[in-house]
Amino acid sequence: MATPIIMPKFGQMTEESAIVEWLKKEGDKVNKGDILFTVETDKSVMEVESFEAGTLLKITVPPRVNVPVQSTVGFLGNPGEAIPAATAPAPAAPKPAAAAPEVGRTVPSALPTPAPTQTAVSAPVAAPVPQLPSPISNLPSLFRISPRAAALAKHSVIDATRIKGTGPEGRIVEKDVRNHLQQHGYDKLRISPAAKELAAKEKLDVLTIQPTDGRVTVPDVQRSLAERPKPMSKMRQVIAQRLTQSFRDTPHFYVTVAVDMTELIAYRSQLKAAGAPYTVTDFIAEAVVLTLQEFPDVNSSTDGKTTRWNSHVNLGIAVSLEQGLVVPVIRAAEQLPLLELSQRTKSLAEKARAGKATPDELSGGTFTISNMGMMDVESFGAIINPGESAILAVASTQPQPVVRDGKIVVRQMMKLTLSCDHRIVDGALGAKFINGIKQKLEDIELWKRVTA
Amino acid sequence: METFDIVVIGAGPGGYPAAIRAAQLGAKVAIIEKEKLGGTCLNWGCIPTKALIAAAETFEKIKHAEKYGITVKGASVDYAVMIGNKDKAVGTLRGGINSLLTANGVKQFTGTASFVDRNTIEIVGQASSLSDVHRQDACATTRISAKKIIIATGSTSVMPGFLPKHERVVESRAFLDIQKLPASMIVMGGGFIGCELACMAAMLGVKVTIVELLEDILLLLDADVRREVRGHMEKNLGIRVLTGKALEKISADAKSVRGNFGDEVLTADLLLCAVGRKPVTDGLKLENAGLTKSQRGYIEADDYCRTKVANIFAIGDVTGKIQLAHYATAQGIAAAENAVQTKLHKHDTIVPNVIFTSPEVGTAGLSEDDAKKQNHAVKTGKFRFNGLGKGIATGETTGFVKWIADATTDQLLGAAAVGPHATELIAEAAAVIRAELTTRELGRTIHAHPTFSEAWMEAAHALHNECIHAAPKRK
Repeated sequence: MATPIIMPKFGQMTEESAIVEWLKKEGDKVNKGDILFTVETDKSVMEVESFEAGTLLKITVPPRVNVPVQSTVGFLGNPGEAIPAATAPAPAAPKPAAAAPEVGRTVPSALPTPAPTQTAVSAPVAAPVPQLPSPISNLPSLFRISPRAAALAKHSVIDATRIKGTGPEGRIVEKDVRNHLQQHGYDKLRISPAAKELAAKEKLDVLTIQPTDGRVTVPDVQRSLAERPKPMSKMRQVIAQRLTQSFRDTPHFYVTVAVDMTELIAYRSQLKAAGAPYTVTDFIAEAVVLTLQEFPDVNSSTDGKTTRWNSHVNLGIAVSLEQGLVVPVIRAAEQLPLLELSQRTKSLAEKARAGKATPDELSGGTFTISNMGMMDVESFGAIINPGESAILAVASTQPQPVVRDGKIVVRQMMKLTLSCDHRIVDGALGAKFINGIKQKLEDIELWKRVTA
Repeated sequence: METFDIVVIGAGPGGYPAAIRAAQLGAKVAIIEKEKLGGTCLNWGCIPTKALIAAAETFEKIKHAEKYGITVKGASVDYAVMIGNKDKAVGTLRGGINSLLTANGVKQFTGTASFVDRNTIEIVGQASSLSDVHRQDACATTRISAKKIIIATGSTSVMPGFLPKHERVVESRAFLDIQKLPASMIVMGGGFIGCELACMAAMLGVKVTIVELLEDILLLLDADVRREVRGHMEKNLGIRVLTGKALEKISADAKSVRGNFGDEVLTADLLLCAVGRKPVTDGLKLENAGLTKSQRGYIEADDYCRTKVANIFAIGDVTGKIQLAHYATAQGIAAAENAVQTKLHKHDTIVPNVIFTSPEVGTAGLSEDDAKKQNHAVKTGKFRFNGLGKGIATGETTGFVKWIADATTDQLLGAAAVGPHATELIAEAAAVIRAELTTRELGRTIHAHPTFSEAWMEAAHALHNECIHAAPKRK
């Protein structure tokens, strides 16, 4: 009997995933270890290998459909082998319209009804494919239209869902479409034949296109198409959801200090010349780890009623990617010597940039550093990652005039801004904490000890 | 110092329409020309070549008149008369421009213009170009003040430095004034100027060799169009076309002009250099107005014809975009309107291109290659003139028309015509491409029978394999 292919669970937090691309076609031979498909999780795109050899008999979940983890996405076996008549998993993220059957139409009884249990049947039965989210999925649940009205709307290249029906039970009839066209000045609409063709192909309502020169042309349609909302990547959606949640639920306040980096940068150049691999970020990370151990309140989290201290410093370091932002986490960073912290930071960041970091390496942080030092910024404030109580924003190091011993001198200055969760960190604590970091970065003897 | 709303520098096919349009809109306008009204187009380009090509084609028709049952004996060419006829046509048109400018109240200055500052122009009169131009202040220096200035100084032939300075080595302008045709001629450069003059000379009996450095002549055209033109030039006009190598070691003496193409030594009576054109900005003193030239020497202008200096516009060949007279005219009209009116608008971008080779070529919109480069799903429909009633009746069956369309939206993106009257036929294509018609719409448009323009309708049908006058394509 054919073996089901299961959507794996990536990391503890993942509840649903979508296949990005099937790398094998139905009927393809599959060797053990071959990559069957790629999956988009909240954090990255992962490759899924086959645990067995055989022939890909059936794909039951097409790309871009969210399904719960552990559900069957296809079948592997010998050619001709029977496929269990399992129902394909219902798409996750319930959308009322997609789930509701089309109103006003009965399902033809000739269609094979999927068997309720996973028993093998003699003849292969096509598993129903989950409905793809279609552009008309935002139809009202009671969208009724007469065939003549639908044909006229289609011919006129307009969106019938914007029309109010006056027929029985709100059904849109031809007269409604005609009235709609008249009310919206359809007879005055000037549109080039090619523009109308393009709008029809792209299912764009021609009444919604703004003409540039009194006449709708192809560039006008293309402009409307470019302005049409497009779904964000899964990663962006997760970023949006998490940051909105954090910014809404966490009362942020900000403390900024200017750190004199002159000596540390000079010392780092010395080290570099001697072949040591340290970056400025490594020193900042180490200073943060040391200071967090002095102020465990900052290395904790709250739900507003309880606080939870974290016994380890799980240090997140934000890495910007082309398609978004990920935060690889260095677990138990307080146990690592500087050299190892440096190497771990580097390898995790590379892994994250290559999209190879596992979801577990991208979660569980207790404090985060966001470094925009390379981006030529004076200072900035970051948004706290959910589950943490502060985040450190590192700006660029720039030569600045400062006063030392009553004289104006030029020093390499870097601004650090701490964003704090005011429910758990008060102003005084935030100030002490960030000054703790500053003092360490400016204490060149400390670094000589740590790197010795 | 007299003050004008608009001063146009250069009275070519870009400049004089700009001046007239600005005057129509109520501006006080002056135009400055250092040589002759009409510029290169009228005096040394489009118009004189067409007069000569018309004569050459007539001679060609006479040579082949026998197939229509007409016997002509002793037909011969008097080239000096042809040149005289050409000069007469040019003179008539130049007089026309003069009266149009006068009728529109445009004040003319003859001389070389230079910027004093961004609102002041100095004109130094020239004694050499007094012929038939209504002129002011010749040989004197005048300063005028302008609220807005339109630069339309055009371009001139490039003469590479390695060419010998000899009367047997000419560029297109000097070639149009020679009084006696050479027996043989080498044309250096297979662009449209070189090819047009090569065809004209070949039809009048000159033994012509074209040498092109690149892999083919007329490289801006699609390969199928190129093949049609080159084939006809080689087979029917006897032009020798050499490509892919440079003409080297060029020398000239009293007897002949010689050059090496690879190992072969080419010898001829005349060498015509047609390797391109360069912008004319010498003496303009652009720096006084705060203007700079691009790396290649052009004055850059945007689609509204604005330069980087707010009150100065630039149009035509000097902007280095498309070097065609009618494109300069479109730019000129847009520049005049944008200089006078407050609401800006862009000049059009569907530019028909016509080449008066034998056979003629006309193109508009995107070429097949360009459409592919712009990621269109390209579909083409072609119809040959040998399938057309009018073509067969008149005995003009060379060539074809071709539509280039987007397969997904059926939009007409471009067109090419090669063959009889192709330069006239392309006008319809330009109009329908600009109107964003689909091939279905064009195919439904009734075309008069029997005409060459029917080929467009047939080609639109052909694109959907629904051609009436061609066998269905096997799938």
